[in-house]
Amino acid sequence: MYIYLPIAEQPINAFIVLGIGWLVGIIMGMVGIGGGFLLTPLMIFFGIPSPVAVASVANQLVAPSVSGVLSHWKSGNVDFKMGTILLVGGVIGSSIGVLIFNILNAIGQLDLVIKLSYVIFLAIIGLLMFVESFKLIIQTKRGKATRGKLHQHNWLHGLPFKTRFRKSKLYISIILPLIIGVIVGILAALMGIGGGFIIVPAMIYLLGMPTSLVIGTSLFQIIFVAANTTILQASQNQTVDIVLALILLIGSVIGVQIGSKFSNLMKGEHLRLFLSFIILLVGFKLILDLVTIPLDIFSISVIK
Amino acid sequence: MRTLIKNIFLIIIITLNSFTVFAKDNLVTDLSESTVEISSTFSGADILLFGAYDGQKNDDIIVVVSGQKGNIKVDKKEKKFGIWMITESIKFSNVPKYYYIASNRKIEEITNKTEIKKRKLNFNNFELNNNKIDYKNLDKKWYEALKRNMKKKQFWKIEENSIKLNKNTLFRKTLSLPSNVSTGMYIVKILHYRKGNLISQEESKIKIDKTGISANIYNIAQNFSAIYGIIAVIIALFFGWFTNFIFRRI
Repeated sequence: MYIYLPIAEQPINAFIVLGIGWLVGIIMGMVGIGGGFLLTPLMIFFGIPSPVAVASVANQLVAPSVSGVLSHWKSGNVDFKMGTILLVGGVIGSSIGVLIFNILNAIGQLDLVIKLSYVIFLAIIGLLMFVESFKLIIQTKRGKATRGKLHQHNWLHGLPFKTRFRKSKLYISIILPLIIGVIVGILAALMGIGGGFIIVPAMIYLLGMPTSLVIGTSLFQIIFVAANTTILQASQNQTVDIVLALILLIGSVIGVQIGSKFSNLMKGEHLRLFLSFIILLVGFKLILDLVTIPLDIFSISVIK
Repeated sequence: MRTLIKNIFLIIIITLNSFTVFAKDNLVTDLSESTVEISSTFSGADILLFGAYDGQKNDDIIVVVSGQKGNIKVDKKEKKFGIWMITESIKFSNVPKYYYIASNRKIEEITNKTEIKKRKLNFNNFELNNNKIDYKNLDKKWYEALKRNMKKKQFWKIEENSIKLNKNTLFRKTLSLPSNVSTGMYIVKILHYRKGNLISQEESKIKIDKTGISANIYNIAQNFSAIYGIIAVIIALFFGWFTNFIFRRI
């Protein structure tokens, strides 16, 4: 069934988009990470203009984050104080991100920067995930598991404005989570991602937060970053396609629930290995599009 | 079935009509639809153009459909640091966003060059502007690129030999509008040629408009963009909460 997207101004097969949202949602639910970094490039492959893809995926991101936070909240796995500082940074970051988005759009290099950012990020995450899960699989086969220190003290702990985070059992400077929030916010605005794959390791390794609190807290801040990005993109660039976002979010929220119910069916490391292949494949396709000679070196676009 | 009956009905009306008005006017045309509504299930539209003319052997009919004019940016990519990136752009203004030409045989055989230029019966005679000051020296490849890409997207289209003339009195032509057609008032010109000379012409209009939810969403997004953004967030928030609410019970 074809549905006409009012902002992208083109018809799209609703069932296929719903299916993509659903599959990405299942992956999200099983692995416990956001799916923005897969959804946005997939929408671009589908012919949605990249500014619309980025803004609409940011919009859809609100929904799975909310339902995720609600279930983590029930189990008491959200550090709201840490989350609030992260989200303040996130809101600042996403505002900066939309500003960069506008500048790039004005000079006509937005599409390239979005695609290049994706190539870089997908390559890094894909390779890291591949190496990590591969190591784990080898280690479990050999029957020895190594365990690092829970958290180390370094120069980062010497920064001023120290605050106590009771829930996370931390006494650290608020500057670090603020900066992490800003970086994630910029990425959210530019790439339409929640930034879970950056914020989660950052919270564990840089802030030293307990692993159990990390996902719930990061989801909490993503809600606000994604919401801020959506409102700014909508009001400044009119690039949020509510119909596209709605189809994607219906697919993904259902997928997430199913995925999280079946997450114990498969071993985490096998799942991550599989996911790393998908991520690398998407990144490879993007880079291929950038380096191969275009069919026509000229392209056209309707402008106001 | 409804449209078929409608079409047959139209043919009858036009045929009857044409017999009565031939004395004054030797070309009568009508469209199966004068408005096209882009709704949320829009995937292109077919409009039937009917015509009756007081013809002689070897008369010709040319149909030209032109849409709203707008700005089109042409980007040129070059390989830099191993990747293809946009290095130069030219903005053309006053470009017809849709231009369709159909005829019963090759247009060059129908009429002469001056007439082709005057009536814009190809894609080379639009009065375009661009943002480069030196228009005269603008490399021809830029306009060729615009033309090639407009054709590729089906926004500009020429179909010679596509109109069937019936007994020098009737003709019909299906005008297929692509799904990504832009909105606005479209002008349909029907030109009747005899031995290369224009002997009569008719003009109709097609209004292409967004309707229904699709149009409302677009309008809100354009005119109340901050409210639109807030609504988009609220909808997403609601669905997030709602699925959590549903799945908690399963």
